[in-house]
Amino acid sequence: MKKILQLALGIITSVGGFLEVGSVTTAAQAGALFGYRLLWSILLGTLCLIFLVEMSGRLAAVSKHTVVDAMRERFGFPFFFIVLVGIVLVAFMVLVAELGGIGFGIQILTGVGFPWWAVPVSLLVWLLMWKGTFSLIENGASLLGLVTLSFLVAALRLHPDWSGVTSAFLPSMPSGDKAKYGFLTVSILGASISPYLMYFYSSGAVEDEWDRTYIPINRFIAGFGMIFGGVLSMAVLVVSALALQPKGIQVDTFPQAALMMTTALPRWGFYLFAFSMIFACFGAALEVSLAIAYFFSQGFGWSWSEDLEPSKNSRFAFIYTVIILLAAIPLVFGIDPIKVTMMSMALTSFTLPLAIVPFLLLMNDPIYLGKYRNGWISNSVVSIVVVISFVLALISIPLEIMGG
Amino acid sequence: MRTKGFFVLTVLLAIACKPPTPAEQMDTIVSWVSTARMVGDAWLRHTTPDKYTSQTLQQADQMLLQTGSELLKSLPPAIDSAAFDRALTSTRFNISEMSRFVEAKDASRFRQPWDSVLIYMKVMKDYSDKVESSR
Amino acid sequence: MNLVRDVLDKKLIDREECEMGRVSGLLMHVGETSQPRITHILIGGPTLWSRIHPVFGRMSAALAKLWGPSRTGAVRIPWSRVETVGREVKLDVEAKETGALDWEIWFAKHVIERIPGGGSEEEE
Repeated sequence: MKKILQLALGIITSVGGFLEVGSVTTAAQAGALFGYRLLWSILLGTLCLIFLVEMSGRLAAVSKHTVVDAMRERFGFPFFFIVLVGIVLVAFMVLVAELGGIGFGIQILTGVGFPWWAVPVSLLVWLLMWKGTFSLIENGASLLGLVTLSFLVAALRLHPDWSGVTSAFLPSMPSGDKAKYGFLTVSILGASISPYLMYFYSSGAVEDEWDRTYIPINRFIAGFGMIFGGVLSMAVLVVSALALQPKGIQVDTFPQAALMMTTALPRWGFYLFAFSMIFACFGAALEVSLAIAYFFSQGFGWSWSEDLEPSKNSRFAFIYTVIILLAAIPLVFGIDPIKVTMMSMALTSFTLPLAIVPFLLLMNDPIYLGKYRNGWISNSVVSIVVVISFVLALISIPLEIMGG
Repeated sequence: MRTKGFFVLTVLLAIACKPPTPAEQMDTIVSWVSTARMVGDAWLRHTTPDKYTSQTLQQADQMLLQTGSELLKSLPPAIDSAAFDRALTSTRFNISEMSRFVEAKDASRFRQPWDSVLIYMKVMKDYSDKVESSR
Repeated sequence: MNLVRDVLDKKLIDREECEMGRVSGLLMHVGETSQPRITHILIGGPTLWSRIHPVFGRMSAALAKLWGPSRTGAVRIPWSRVETVGREVKLDVEAKETGALDWEIWFAKHVIERIPGGGSEEEE
């Protein structure tokens, strides 16, 4: 019975926690510029993510290690440190983007600019981590995040052309700006395949003391949760494609993105968009902060349970306190959250090999997984997608310069 | 690690500095005029707050000013830049009128500039097609 | 036993199942006639950072002199105190007495407890 409840909760939290500033912004831009065309990249990214999340849960259940624990022990400190620097730098940018997303959501509701919200919002995020427990954070934030289901409702109400939608699941080259298309593909992949989700998920599994009996549930949660989440991202793209593209509206700013819901849901659409952004980004800000703090704590061997009070894991608490407050600073100075978002998503794609290659090696190591090692399918899917992401990032980040 | 950091920095700087083409600038102009029209529509139906609406309209005005003045320097010769400038100025005038009436909460006076913006939307789309075809 | 694979970087647990960090390094005695053998487990920042480059080890030691718990040199646990080596390395010691948790306690006292809500329950 407990397992069924956990399964339900796991799926709900995945759905509610899936959308965040990166997935919304990239999907909105993609729909406005290229119609349905980029749906395949959301599909590909989500598929890869399903495998990665399942793998990180399986690692935790079988070896009782989190991904970071295993990485430090298997590869040693110097290698761990290199990965730490790369991952944490990008994750920090993502955190800035999420806080900016919350700020923007509040800005469009109140008319008060997001720089004014940066410090209050980051204090609120910090307070929740300081006083809250893991379950409160995980479940609370994700339940609130269910408001993002409104994107799915909006997409259905716009009566998309289903044959157009399904044919977009296969990659195709656009007639328009190819460099921009490439850059958006990379950003969408980076938005879907966020490494911090793996660290967060495996830490949760270890905190909940998963064992081998959790392996089937883990598959369900990873599968259904992420599929549903991916569907939400696709819904954002479809809504943007139907509401904004025909009017020639590009999503260069958040206020423009907010208009997309007003066509399908005239009365409440605008407010649903604002609250979706606020709650989704809030949940993501919590997850990214925790993931960064976990990375340091698990890697260095500090105590890190979120259920303990701060003085009992002082270094863990110190890390998340510092990064949350630091992340507010660029926003206070008015850095554009959309630009930070797009760049952090593209850089996530670029640094994926750093996170994924050691992880794949671990997943094939009999010492950690015994007979539960990866099969050829998991290895192939993840390897192929990571190679695609990295190569595309290598090409299109510079092309974004040339193509504009 | 150091070379990767340097590469990223160069890339970021380059992205910040790269100038858009005339076709892209026209796309931006069309996008903002459309935005003004759409936000006006949403406001008339009481589905967006006043502050958001007027701020978005003001931002549209700003973006049209900024993009327009850059575009005028590099318009293709086939296009009458004086006529374009007049059209853009009128568009901007109507958008700022819209913003003024939103702040005054005057929906009835709002309609007229809003209707004019629809006409200028089509005008800008025409210019956009001309710029596109003269590439 | 493969030292690098089985011992280095592993988590350390004390007598009371309390976590006390990770193995940063190992001290070995290389005699003229006898086989090299491990004498101590090392825990501590300078030991750890030296594994990237000795310069980092020195920087870590210098920083530790400026602030943080007062302590000279890495924490050394005699190899004789190792009970088992498995998923973690279990030691027959008490964590607080070894000094392995000095930094954790220092941060709790000097940083965390100074922030409202950070104090420990016993005080309230």
